[in-house]
Amino acid sequence: MKKTRTLGALGAVLSLSLALAACSGGGGGDDDSTDASGGTGDNTLTVWAWDPAFNIYALEEAEKVFQADNPDFKLEIVETPWEDVQTKLTTLAQSGETDQLPDIFLMQNNAFQKNVINYPDIFADFADSDVDFSEFPESVVAYSTYEDVNYGVPFDNGTAIGAYRTDILEQAGYTVDDFTDITWDEFLTIGKDVLAKTGKPMLTGQAGSADTIMMMLQSAGASLFDDEGKPTITDNEALLAAIDMYGQMVEAGVFVEVNSWDEYINTIVNSNTAGVVNGVWISGSIQSAADQSGKWAVTNVPKLDGVDGATNYTANGGSSWAITPNGNEALASDFLNATFAGSTEFYDTILPASGALANWLPAGESDVYSEPQEFFGGQPIYADVLTFAAEVPSNNTGAYYYEGRDAVSVAITNIFNGTDPQAALEEAQATVEFAMG
Amino acid sequence: MSAPTAPTEDRASSAPPRGTKLSPGRSKRVPLSAIARRRSLTGWTFLIPAAALIVLVNFWPMIQALFLSLQTGRGTRLTWAEPLWLNYQRLFEDETFRLTLSTTFIYLIIQVPIMLAIAMVLANLLNAPWLRFKGFWRTAIFLPCAVGLVSYALVFRQIFATDGLANDLLIKFGLLDDNVNWLGQTGTARMVIILGLLWRWTGYNMIFFLAALQNIDRSTLEAARVDGANGFKTFWYVTMPQLKPIILLCAILSTNGTLQMFDESYNLTNGGPGNTTMTVSHYLYNVSFRNSPNFGYAAAISYAILIIVAILAAIQLKVGDKRD
Amino acid sequence: MTKTQLRRIPAYLFLSVAVVLSVFPLYFMAVSATNTSNEVVASKLLPGSHLLENFQTLVDSQPLGSAFYHSSVNAIATTVLALILCSIAGYAFEIYHSRAKDTVMAILLLAIMIPFAATMIPLFRLFAQLGLVNSTFAVIVPLIATPFLILLFRQASRSFPHEIIEAARLDGLGEVSIFARIYLPTMKPTLAAAGVITFLFSWNNFLWPKVILVDNAYQTLPMLLSNMRAGYVTDYGSLMLAVFIVSVPTMVIFLALQRHFAEGVTGAIK
Repeated sequence: MKKTRTLGALGAVLSLSLALAACSGGGGGDDDSTDASGGTGDNTLTVWAWDPAFNIYALEEAEKVFQADNPDFKLEIVETPWEDVQTKLTTLAQSGETDQLPDIFLMQNNAFQKNVINYPDIFADFADSDVDFSEFPESVVAYSTYEDVNYGVPFDNGTAIGAYRTDILEQAGYTVDDFTDITWDEFLTIGKDVLAKTGKPMLTGQAGSADTIMMMLQSAGASLFDDEGKPTITDNEALLAAIDMYGQMVEAGVFVEVNSWDEYINTIVNSNTAGVVNGVWISGSIQSAADQSGKWAVTNVPKLDGVDGATNYTANGGSSWAITPNGNEALASDFLNATFAGSTEFYDTILPASGALANWLPAGESDVYSEPQEFFGGQPIYADVLTFAAEVPSNNTGAYYYEGRDAVSVAITNIFNGTDPQAALEEAQATVEFAMG
Repeated sequence: MSAPTAPTEDRASSAPPRGTKLSPGRSKRVPLSAIARRRSLTGWTFLIPAAALIVLVNFWPMIQALFLSLQTGRGTRLTWAEPLWLNYQRLFEDETFRLTLSTTFIYLIIQVPIMLAIAMVLANLLNAPWLRFKGFWRTAIFLPCAVGLVSYALVFRQIFATDGLANDLLIKFGLLDDNVNWLGQTGTARMVIILGLLWRWTGYNMIFFLAALQNIDRSTLEAARVDGANGFKTFWYVTMPQLKPIILLCAILSTNGTLQMFDESYNLTNGGPGNTTMTVSHYLYNVSFRNSPNFGYAAAISYAILIIVAILAAIQLKVGDKRD
Repeated sequence: MTKTQLRRIPAYLFLSVAVVLSVFPLYFMAVSATNTSNEVVASKLLPGSHLLENFQTLVDSQPLGSAFYHSSVNAIATTVLALILCSIAGYAFEIYHSRAKDTVMAILLLAIMIPFAATMIPLFRLFAQLGLVNSTFAVIVPLIATPFLILLFRQASRSFPHEIIEAARLDGLGEVSIFARIYLPTMKPTLAAAGVITFLFSWNNFLWPKVILVDNAYQTLPMLLSNMRAGYVTDYGSLMLAVFIVSVPTMVIFLALQRHFAEGVTGAIK
């Protein structure tokens, strides 16, 4: 008798402690946020975004703008690194638990097609919304459009800039004009000279990352996939030229590879590079080094030699806002429509503070864009970048963009280790074809 | 009290539990088998919560993964594969799988023996009767195990950055002329991962060896000394055989840990450069979460890992037995 | 110096090298927590005066207190429950030993070989269907019953004299009382070893909390570290301070329990 009772008591204690543990989870956190993601239809929206200095800052400003007309409105911003956003979206979609989704999430343009195609259930479309997509550049809207339906409001513009340290160039006897409308060959020649005279490389970047090569590729209107989404890694004249150029620059020390993203940022902040070629969003990181104010200038990027369709314009990164079918679609699309797709005032605030260059064309007519930027020696860089943006050739991403990119990274590593470029790229093509099979 | 019937699979336990001597006083009132059955039942009650949880969080998902591995398609649009074993067939054609698997084996073959050897030497030194400040040495060497994987990956990345501490020191001591991009080249990046693993796990294994050494029957060591065996001979012929079970356990756990290694590959190098430091578990993660998601294939990869671990464990047990 | 003492010098040298290599990254971490971001990048090896500023930056930019709270709750709950469940299971496998139980144990041990990345999605689906996303419960449940801990307790029980159990039974003690009042108090070292191992694992667990805690309000410390890392500009001083703060509790727990820890492992390995 006694034994059973004790056993029962033990079981009770166990289940009680389990229950307590479960409760402390519910009680310990912020209950408002749980309600919001549950889609109760109140005036709060949950959003996932990842950069406090950039897209989260933009959200906070957008919240203020929207609150002017909707005083009860509130944003619950959840800082989630991009890789985590992807992991969580995959987990939620795969387990069918879409009610755990936020109301809005930010997505890298390069990953948009992949997610829309594989997980249509986590997206609500903008068919019933007032967002006027003709007010965005077609090439940017294309990232988040699938089968003629819009799934995303474009946020930041990935237009690439060549930003250079005027003080370092001056030591070597150059100005930013020497870097405007040039080819990568010319860039390499000048770069070697700058390196010899100042000891600083022209560019830095993450080892094993295909960013720079992908930018070169897009500048010539080329891509790793054709219009039907088939990989075109072999017999890709632009890709071969880009890899060759990249290799020469690394070889010469004009391009220094570092390990990680933050090491890369540090080379900029700590004056260990004379220049940067990247999406315009990098200007936010550049400006974080207050002591370098007035020492930067911006121009377009070099172009590939001897490649058909080569231009001095390209893009890297960029992201768009997606909304989820969680019951708050109407409010979410109203919010986006009134801010990211409809408020000049909003863009006027976030542009100078964070370098968030609008894709929304009407914003470009604002005076803020032509204001001289003190950090960049008084150059009105945003007006300049808008003229670049209009020239950027479009880019096919498709559902297998990351497979393609990774395969090219592997090929580059192999080529640096002595593999014949043709053979390495054939292997990359085979890898992507395998992944798609 | 109504005694529930014992589970049918419990026939073997109707014999009294080991070491149990039935008390004459009780056996008069209650039949022997009833006591045994009730005790056996108590045993089952005690172990079922833990066992059920293990089944729930490990085996149940793995059974689901088995069905998943027979399906094909992207995202949530899955259909039964044609033929059913298609995903397993794919494994043999997958260059990236082959690359990540061989990288994982490189880590395994280089790191595990070095780690176990160093741990064994350290454990023997710490067990020496003449050693002073034992607590200090042991604590200091074990301390890395208390650091989280994310934390230590961050510190190691900082140390092995291109303009990081490792380069600074090596140049200062004249061992290097120029900065080396440790994590940017296949060979050195793999080396950094191996160093990281050694740093984090050697002390852990050392504690287990040390514990086993302290359990060794001192009289056997005395006997060897009397027979005139030197220190090394005593270690090799007397100590080692007694340590075999624990070496085997550590070897199996380390092998298993290496094949499932994800954090180091993900946080230290993110698999780069060019996937050459990526482990097979990291590849499994990428197939599921980074690439266009292919969960059927990912499940097949996980079964491949499971089978390889099982085979290696079986080999290790076999080899361990033979040395007897 | 005698010949024997001379022979011991290499041993002390070897140990010293091992200690320096073990402790040096930790020293670098601690020192960096007191330096500015630029000094960390420049690999400054002396303590600086920037500790308070780093702390201020960290607290201003990250929900440190909340993450610390959630990590603590998770780790403590996991440890307590794991000790209860696994000690009683390990005890049962040994004391109520039978061939059927041996088979069950062997099957459970297979679970060690299952890669977590493979079970993650089905596990998530399971907890989501039970409405347990974002709950402490879901974070800790996959960690509280591990075959390794059960094995540890089963091995430790081998040296527990069965006569004591018999004597206790004669005294009319119930099976649960025998376990709780007679067996457990003798198992302090094993409990310490199992507790340290579980606490370390739970405190540092990363991938599963990252997946199951969809809402950042429940963020744990390793998740916070990883978030800091993902920010586009990183302040290394405060990052290293964060790494240091995350590492301190586990180091303190190990230091406090290390004597028992070693004994516990020893007991289990007999």
